[in-house]
Amino acid sequence: MEFDFRVVADSWRFLAYGVGVTLLLSVVSGVASLAAGFGVASLRLYGPAWVRWPVVLYIDSMRAIPVLVVLVWTFFALPIVSGITMSPFTAALVGLTIHLAAYAAEIVRAGIESVRPGQARAALALGMSRAQVLRRIVLPQAIVRMLPAFGSLLSITIKDTAIASVIAVPELMRQSETVAGQSFQPIEVFTVAMALYFTMLFPVTRGVDAVYRRVAHLGRS
Amino acid sequence: MTLDWSVVWEHREALAAGTATTFLLTIATMAIAVPGGIAVALLRMYGAVPLRALAAGYVELFRNLPLILVVYWAFYVVPILTGVGLSALATGLAALALNVTAYNAETFRAGINSIRRGQVEAALALGMSRGQALRRIVVPQALRRILPVLASTWVSLFKDTSLVSVIAVTELAYVSMQVRAQTFRVLEMLTAMAALYWLLGYPQAKLVDWMQRRFRVTE
Repeated sequence: MEFDFRVVADSWRFLAYGVGVTLLLSVVSGVASLAAGFGVASLRLYGPAWVRWPVVLYIDSMRAIPVLVVLVWTFFALPIVSGITMSPFTAALVGLTIHLAAYAAEIVRAGIESVRPGQARAALALGMSRAQVLRRIVLPQAIVRMLPAFGSLLSITIKDTAIASVIAVPELMRQSETVAGQSFQPIEVFTVAMALYFTMLFPVTRGVDAVYRRVAHLGRS
Repeated sequence: MTLDWSVVWEHREALAAGTATTFLLTIATMAIAVPGGIAVALLRMYGAVPLRALAAGYVELFRNLPLILVVYWAFYVVPILTGVGLSALATGLAALALNVTAYNAETFRAGINSIRRGQVEAALALGMSRGQALRRIVVPQALRRILPVLASTWVSLFKDTSLVSVIAVTELAYVSMQVRAQTFRVLEMLTAMAALYWLLGYPQAKLVDWMQRRFRVTE
């Protein structure tokens, strides 16, 4: 059997574009789900009772429905319901954010709840307001403890962007499929795609671990 | 906009068959990935040095690849490399099993490592063999920590089986999208697909929450 990696060299611009889209989609949907996750978690923890149960329902529903289904629904069905047409990239961004924000919210909640309630009570007893307690006592410890989980969420985000290929977002997976289909050399193309994804993902997991080891002492209580 | 939900009921048999395949894939993958994960974890912890490196490399590789790419890779590359043409179902199963085995291996390794070394040392000092210490001291405690993680891997796997639809395995997602393509009932079929996954997945996710509360370990 012969391998001919020239096909990859010939279409490197096409694949590099895919890498760019993958990174862009990962960063934007990562940041968006993080922000939305903080919002959802604070609604769940501090919102009025009538807001809490729909929030819990949303979080648990996202844990029950596959990303593929969320993405396909956002791209094909949402425009029918809402009348808004979205580009594949926007649909992927919206779908991924809706899905991942639920996971981010659970991470935030677990982090905040991991700070012993005695600390908040002590701070209240010292005369701090609820907001001060959260800002000065709870969050500084909680955010450090959330770090490793956010790291794995980021790596999940990068992996999930590959699923956006089913709604024709021109990210690395989709571009690789196209090149593989046109060149009839799937082995070479998909193996290179594997190497590219691994090179993107491995430093993320390792980098977050390294950062966490340096700041872990700040989260101890 | 006119909606015709009867299309869902008309295709109930295909959807039921797809649901069955989804469950079959989940069960079969776990049946491979639990023993596989134990084997890989043991190799990584107690194997000879080259085997350890191999096991660690395997785990790191598959934890850092998108599953959908592994599915494509298995579909296009395995038949060419091995000359064995597998059915789409078997290929999908192989890709899922490779992926989940790597995750399970880490779960087992973390579970065993979470038991403080002093406990094994104490057991050895009492005259137990390494095997006895592992079997009587480490495993019973580690299981409590491993089970909830395996349960949440199960739920992730249940959802991830939808990814093998890209190689035309006739599970729930593929069947729903096929019906959509045949009938042009896009909103109805996609909503039905989401609802079915929700109905099936929601109780599982809740069960996982319960297990995590039930098996919570306080240090």
